[in-house]
Formats: sequence, structure tokens, C-alpha cells
Amino acid sequence: MSEAKNREEVIQNLNDVVEEMHNKMLKGKPPTMTLPVRSKTNIEFNQRLGVYKYGKKETIRDATSLGSARQLLRALHVIEFIEEMIDSEKSSTLREMYYISEGWGLGKFGTQNESNNLAEDLEIVTKCMREDFKLRPEEDGARMIGNVTIEERNRRGEWMRINCRDDVGDSGYGLPYNVEPEKIRLIDEDIDYIMAIETGGMFDRLVENGFDEDSRCALIHLKGQPARSTRRMIKRMSEAWNKPVMVFADCDPWSFRIFASIAYGAIKTAHISEYLATTGAEYLGITADDIGAYDLPSDDLTPKDIEALKAELSDPRFSTGVWQNQINQMLKEGKKAEQQSLAKYGLDYVTDEYLPEKLSEFGLGG
Amino acid sequence: MAKRATSTMKQASISEFFEKNKHFLGYDSVQRSIITAVKEAIDNSLDACEEHRILPTISIELRKIPNKNDRIMMIAQDNGPGIPAKSIEKVFGSLLFGSRFHTIRQTRGQQGIGITGVVMYSQLTTGKTTHVISKIAKDATALKMDIGLDTKKNAAIVSNRERTHDFVDYNGIPVDHGLRIEAPMKAKFQRGKKSVGQYLRMTAIVNPHATIRFHAYNEDNELIDSFVSERVTDQLPRPVREIKPHPHGIEIGSLNRLLRDSTERNMGGFLRHTFSGIPMRAMKEILERCYIDKKESPQNVTPEESQLILTSFNEVRLMPPPTDCLSPIEDLLIKKGLEKGVDSAFVSTLTRPPNVASGNPFQIEVGMIYGNADVSADGPIEVLRFANRVPLMYQQGGCLLTKGIESVSWKGYGLDQPGGKGLPKGAATILVHLASTNVQFTSEAKEAVAENEVVMNEIRKALQEIGRNLKNHKKKSAQKAKTKEKFELVNEILPAIATKASNLLDRPEPDLGPIITNIMNAVFCEDEVIWDKEAKVHRCEIKIHNYTARPRKYEILAQYPEKEGVEIIENELGGKREVKGIWSWKLDTIPPNEAGMINFAIKGLAHNDWNNTEVFFRGSLDIIGASKIDEEILIEIQKEEERNMQFAAEQAMLIAEDAMESDQDKSGDLTELELENAMEGVLGDAFSEELPEEMIEKHDLDDSGTLDQTEIENAVLNSNDFRETTLDEWGDE
Repeated sequence: MSEAKNREEVIQNLNDVVEEMHNKMLKGKPPTMTLPVRSKTNIEFNQRLGVYKYGKKETIRDATSLGSARQLLRALHVIEFIEEMIDSEKSSTLREMYYISEGWGLGKFGTQNESNNLAEDLEIVTKCMREDFKLRPEEDGARMIGNVTIEERNRRGEWMRINCRDDVGDSGYGLPYNVEPEKIRLIDEDIDYIMAIETGGMFDRLVENGFDEDSRCALIHLKGQPARSTRRMIKRMSEAWNKPVMVFADCDPWSFRIFASIAYGAIKTAHISEYLATTGAEYLGITADDIGAYDLPSDDLTPKDIEALKAELSDPRFSTGVWQNQINQMLKEGKKAEQQSLAKYGLDYVTDEYLPEKLSEFGLGG
Repeated sequence: MAKRATSTMKQASISEFFEKNKHFLGYDSVQRSIITAVKEAIDNSLDACEEHRILPTISIELRKIPNKNDRIMMIAQDNGPGIPAKSIEKVFGSLLFGSRFHTIRQTRGQQGIGITGVVMYSQLTTGKTTHVISKIAKDATALKMDIGLDTKKNAAIVSNRERTHDFVDYNGIPVDHGLRIEAPMKAKFQRGKKSVGQYLRMTAIVNPHATIRFHAYNEDNELIDSFVSERVTDQLPRPVREIKPHPHGIEIGSLNRLLRDSTERNMGGFLRHTFSGIPMRAMKEILERCYIDKKESPQNVTPEESQLILTSFNEVRLMPPPTDCLSPIEDLLIKKGLEKGVDSAFVSTLTRPPNVASGNPFQIEVGMIYGNADVSADGPIEVLRFANRVPLMYQQGGCLLTKGIESVSWKGYGLDQPGGKGLPKGAATILVHLASTNVQFTSEAKEAVAENEVVMNEIRKALQEIGRNLKNHKKKSAQKAKTKEKFELVNEILPAIATKASNLLDRPEPDLGPIITNIMNAVFCEDEVIWDKEAKVHRCEIKIHNYTARPRKYEILAQYPEKEGVEIIENELGGKREVKGIWSWKLDTIPPNEAGMINFAIKGLAHNDWNNTEVFFRGSLDIIGASKIDEEILIEIQKEEERNMQFAAEQAMLIAEDAMESDQDKSGDLTELELENAMEGVLGDAFSEELPEEMIEKHDLDDSGTLDQTEIENAVLNSNDFRETTLDEWGDE
């Protein structure tokens, strides 16, 4: 996969998908679409890229069941739709495509989730990005505050220079859905590291306490499971400026997955892990040890939490000793804790005590 | 001991008797009393209408009486014959104990003490009289009066008796004939499983010929419960006929009483005329075994001798009692009753052929609603029990009808049954109806049927067949859904994929034929039964789609509701009748991607009598949507048919032989007089209403004016034919 493909290439790759179906039918066989298996059983560590990618397991979606046949028909409609957009130089959101599919008769989508998944399927088989398809997500990226300067091309086509500390309000700079070089240029920085924060409450606490300036970092709010553009932006800044990335999250199974999607690549987007994952990212906290060490208020693990933790034990991304220990310890103690539980010791405790202590383990913040 | 009890009872006042026995008379609680009172009124109306061949319309109203605790006014009105002026006091004023002692007949009135009990209960709990309005068709005006009871004399006290013009039905239309009862009583209204509403709902199911209206009002005259069930058939229950007791069902006490009270001059006549099922030959054998002279008077038989007679009843070959004295509801009508007002996925009903248990003819009918939204899916199924069309509401656990349901292994039929026994679980209703000339209950309360192995076996057999239907239904629904999907896939989605892919690539469209056989690779059956309103016939279409790469050849069999008066028409493919209810056709070879078709119509059924067919096949490759015919079951059905025919022929021969014993002059022919004699024996069991002259007229094939043995045999064989019941003109009493 390369940076943005030219339109002929994209159309050719899409036509290959159609051709696979047509050729099968010419031979008197049900049409098919071949995809990699998209589960944790088919992600492998790619030594060269340093991230997790899909392995060699393939699944063939063929038109022998009604559900699969519908998927194939939908795929054809989506391909036609994308080719039309490329021709007319338009773009649409995934949600718009979902509504447009109302007019596709037998090929219309049942839920938006179906259309999102199909767009991803096509990305994977064509080795294109959805930006190539002129499809964009409606969810926006995260917020960022810190002494970094970027240029964003606005809707009038002009490059706007923005310092993410001085030119923004308390809510920070909002990342657009497209953070590729044709939209965002990285200009300058005066920071030591990048800190990605899971919850909005903690992001606001650190902003209010002026942590970005005191600790010389860029704060990025992940908004839960981070959007593609958020992960891409972290990756670009870290790579271009050679800055370490620290992930500050809750201590629960879902936080671990957030970290894994930033550091190793997410299962759903393993086909583009090398674009989205920041290989050197570190998990700062809250760790299972922290709960005891800082005597933090905690909650019992729910049956769902336990199930998720057990699933993580067999997830290749958590196969290292550190993670296995972390997860097993949580399962043993049966406790989880939120970032904001640090407020037990006062509002400034997180910025005055906890974070400096944790950061010093990585030689930062000093 | 027994004698003393009787005399004690005579001395005791009738109200004391009522008070002492109210638990089995159904008046032991305020909740139950109202159900019992409604039940007595309804039974009364249904029986009267049936007897006079009137389609019943019955309204029940319950009105809470203001300012009193637990007081309800029960108002029951019917369109029955009404009661002639001179009989009203008798009907309402005396408790009838065992009035039908010597006759054996399937009646509702086997339970309770009738409408007099309502008057009695009303008077005992409120001190008030019961208001009655009655009109018979012959009279211009209705008669109204208040009735109370003189409990010492067991007689009615009538007051305020007068004629009235103001007797109208619920539409305000003057009543031509009918009866209205208004009785205040101590009672409490409730809803739920043991309530008047449920009782009436159940009554409506087993009386599909009745329209039943129910309305309950609170103190403020607001409607708090209601239920209206319109009749689903205009066919009245078959008139039941009385039969003589069968020797196998008789106990020593009854035998002694029959001997003592007999008006027969000699024992020969006694045996042949008092019982059913005793041919001449058997009568002689019994008497020989007991060393009793044929000429002996019944009154002279000693207790020792009567004991011997009872023993020999079980040693001598007797004929079974006639079974046409029963009045089953019939499966189609139960089905209509069950389907009414219930939005369900599946209803199946079955009427077993009549059988005999200890000399008593009986018949089992069952029904099932599966997917009944009114029943919780998590709890046990709903059980509806009936004895002679009367709902049984209490003592469910101790009842044979329930035990019959529990004895079936429901898991195999797709119903949840925790632990593999007991009542199954799920949103289903199972109905069991026992029709019999003599229902044996566990107690005087007559709420639970007593154990009986023969009856139990019949219930099991019936339920197992219903269970098989359920299983087939489930399998068929699943296959139908799958077939529908596959058809949508190859008929809609695949062509769309082909068109779209070809357009995108600007290439010609591929041939879909081979792809379709590749995807389907199976043979599918589609079947449909529709009601043709214009032609008043049911049309059935069966389509066999061959979606395989090779030509296929099949023989197709389909189930149809074969019975008297039903005919297959417009059946171009011909075919033949395999066994009862199964027709078969040979289909021409079906090439790949083509379909074979069978069309036929069924004449003689009403709309909704037939909704779907079961399709079977003979052939090598399975058909989705049809079952491979089980040849063994087919043979079994054939054999049973043959056995039944053979049995009927044997019975006819025996009866004819027995009849020839009356051939006094040994002419080989029975004259009218000789025939009359013969009809007092087993021949009479086979022919209920007919007179000797009618019989000769109908069955004298050689026109000799007499009947020979062959003619009698044929007559007996034909007498079991379906007898159409019609609405007779009825007059006054």
C-alpha cells in the first residue's frame, strides 16, 4: 500500500473485485469475494513494520447463502457508487452512503454497521484506503493541546497555521477526519513527548492544571477507542518529530485494547496498521499495581470485564510477559479503577505527584 | 348400612343435605359458587337447545349488588325452547337425584344438581327468590314469576306469577322462545384460570355451535370483564341416543337392582333386552354356565346366582357395545373453536375412533395450540380438560386427562419437558376431551377423571399423533423458511449480481442455469392450499422444483381430509388413493432447473376446514419441504383399515346370525314380526331409531317383503354410515 493512489489504480483494484465474481459465474460457479479473516486468530506480528497485520488466513464469501449473496450485491453497488464519486470528484460520509443505499433495492443495507464493515472489506481487498474511495467517517478526531504548530488546509483551500497552545481555546485543536499531508502539515514543536488520555474529564483536569506547559508535552484526548485520524496523527507527530508517546488510561480491559490499538494496531484495521500504529508507545497507567500502590478507590470486575480479560490472554498483541502479568494480576484481584480515582488525594495530585512519578520511570517530565 | 343412609337422608331436610354436601355440589367457596351457578345455567340451556335442535345463543351477566359484601346477581338468558307453564315449578323446584338411573347416555348433566341448586344456593345465602321469565313459541306472551323453595317438601314456592309482553333479547328484540333466570347470591367475581370467564371460554371451545356472551359489571355498573364468542358452525351436536348397559360395565349391586326391578318375564328376555352386546347364543351360554333356567323369573334369581352371572359375563364371548351413542365434537370443529381469538402459529386437533372401557363406550379428542401468545413461554403449558363437553376446572393434577398429557415424552416432539416427565413447558395449550356414556370421576366433586388404562392409552395415542404433527410443523416451517431464502437468492439476488457485475465490467451476462443448480443442488417442494370463494372448493397446488444437475423422477403423495362427503376433483394428473387420507401421483421426469406440478381441488369442505397439506415422496433424492414416505406406516394404516372393515363385517355377520335366531318358522327370511323380536336383541343396538317396517322397506333388496341373513348383514354394515344431523322443526312439548 502506498500513499494516496491515483484514480486509475483505485478503479482497477475495484474492478478486480467485480472480475472475481464475474469469472466465477462464467465458469458456472457461485460468485465469490476473497477476504482475510478479520479476528484475533489471524493477526501476526510483522517484524519489518513492527506492528500487527492480518495473517494468511482467508475467507471466501460466496453466494451460496442469502446473507453472503446480499453482501456481494451490496459490494457491487458500493463499487459503482465509489466509481461515480471518483468520476464526479465528490465525496460522501459513510452515513450518507448508508442512506443513499435506500435506493439500491435488493442491495440496500440493513444497518449502518453493515455499510461501514463493507467499506472496510473493500479497503482490505483492494489495498486502498477509504480516503481513496472518497468515503469519510462522520466521527471527528480528538482534541489536542500543546506547543505544536501545524498547518491545516481549510475548505477554501488555504493553508492555516495553528499553534495548538496559543491559537486555541480550552477545548483545544480539533483534529479533522483526514490528517494526511494534503490536509495537515507538521510545522514546528517545542515538546518532549506526546500524552494520549482516555477520558475527557482527565484531559480537562490536565489542561486546567497547565500540565502541557509544566511537563512540556502535547495532550491528546482519545475519546475512548480512538478514531483512525487520532491514531494517524499521533503516529505522524511521533515519527516526524521523534517524540515518545505515553498512553494514560483507566485500568480496565477496554483501556488495554485502546492502548493496543495505538501501540500495535487494531484488529479491525490490521490491514493499515503500519499507518495507524505508533510502535514505541508506552502504557503509563493506570496499571494493576497502581491500584494497590496508590490505594485507589476501585470497582469489582463485572462478568463482561472478566470475559474480556480472558480473551486478551489469548490475543497475540498481549502475549508479552508484562501484559500477561498485568492481566493475570487483574483477574486475581478482581478490581478495576478509573483515572479520575486519583482525585481521592485532591485535584492537583495527578499532576503534582502521580504523573511525575510515573513519567520518571521513562526518564520524562523531569 | 346403605339402607339406613337412604332413610336418614329422607328425614333430613333438603337444605341440610345441600349444606352438608356443598363441597361436591360446587358451592363450597364464594369464588367457586359463581362458576357453579353459571355452569348449571349454561348446561341447562345447552342441553335444552340440543334436545330441541336449536342453535343456542346464551348471555351471562354478572352484576355486583351495591352496598353488600360478596353479593352478585347472576342473569342467564338463552334462546332455548323455554319451559311450558305447567313444568316451570317442577324444573326449578325439586332436586333430582339419580333420575336417569337406568338409561346410559352421554349427557352434560352428570355433574351437579342442576338449576334447582342455583335457586337453593340463592335462597340459602341471600334469603331471596329467583326471578324467572320463560316463553315458549306457542304462547303469545312470556310468563314471569319468582321462585323460592320449600326445603322441607322439596318443592317450589311461586309468587308474583304473571304474563308479560316485555321479554327481549340483548338486541332489544322480542323473544320468540327462551328462558331468563335472575338469581342473587353470595359470590365473588374473579379473573384468571379458575373464573367464570375461563369457564365460558372453555365452554365455547367445546360447543362450537353456540354463541356465548358474557359481561360482568362492578357496583358502579361499569363493565369489568367481557367475552363474546360467536358460533363457528351451524351444525348441532349429533343427537345422542340412549343405550342399554353393557355386561362388562356392570357391578353386582346394579345387577341385583336390575334383576329386582325387571319387568321381563324370564331370564332369557332379561339378558337379551336389558343389556347391549348379548347375542342369543351368548345368552344361552351364560344361563347354562349358571345353571339357570331360561324361563326363570328375574326376581327369583338368588344373590349367589347373580354373582355367577356376573362372572360368566367375563367368560362368554360378547359383542362390544355400540359406539354411535357418543357425540364427539369432531376435530375440525375443535380446531375452529381453538383458533378463535388466538393468534397462534399452529393448531392441530384429533378425534380418535370410539373405544370401549369396561363396557362403557368412550371417545378421546385432543387439540393443541402451539405458539399461544396468551400463555407464558416460561411456565407449564395450559391444560384444558373436558368430560362430555363440560370444562373441568379443579383438581388438574389428579386427573387422568392431565396424567395422559404427562405420560407423553414431549421432548421428542419439540416441546420442553424438564426432567423428561410431567407437564411440558412453553406457550402451548393442550385440550383433552373425554366423551363417554359413563365418565368415572375420582370423587363426588366430579372434577378429576379416575384412572383407567384403556382410556389412558387412547389419550396417549391421540397426543402422540398431535405431537408428530407439531414436530412435522416445526420441521416444515424451518424448511419453508430455508426454501424461501434459497428461492430469493437464486431468483432475485443472483440475477441482480450478474447484471450489476456485467454492467460494471461492460461484459455479457453469464448463463445463470449452471450457477443455480450449483448453489441449490437440491429438490424443493412448495405447496399451498387456498379457498376458492367462487367455486366453494379448496385448491391445492404442489410444485416440485428440480435444482440439481440431473433429471429427477418422483412419486408424490399428499395428505387430504378424506371423509364422507368430501371428494377430490379437477385432478388432471389422476393418481390413486393410497390409504385413507393419502393420494399419490406419478410425476413425469423433471429436467434440471424445471418444476413438476400437481393441481387438484377438494369439494365438500367449508372455508378454513383445510389449510395445508402434508407432502411425501417416493424417490432417491430427498426433497426439501416434503418427507420421504414411511412405507411401513402406510402398510400399518392399510392394515388397520382392513382390520376395521373385517371387524365390521364379522360383527355384521354375528348380528345377522343372531337375528336369524328369531326366524321362528325357519323360512330363512325374517318377517316384520320376527324382525321386531330380533331388534330387541343385539340387532337393536345397531339400529337405533328404525322400526321393523322401515328396515324392510330400506334394506329388502330382492323385494320379498322380508329380510334374509345377507340383507340384514348389509343393512348392519351400512348403518354405520355418516348420519347427517339437520335442524328439525321443533314444536311445543
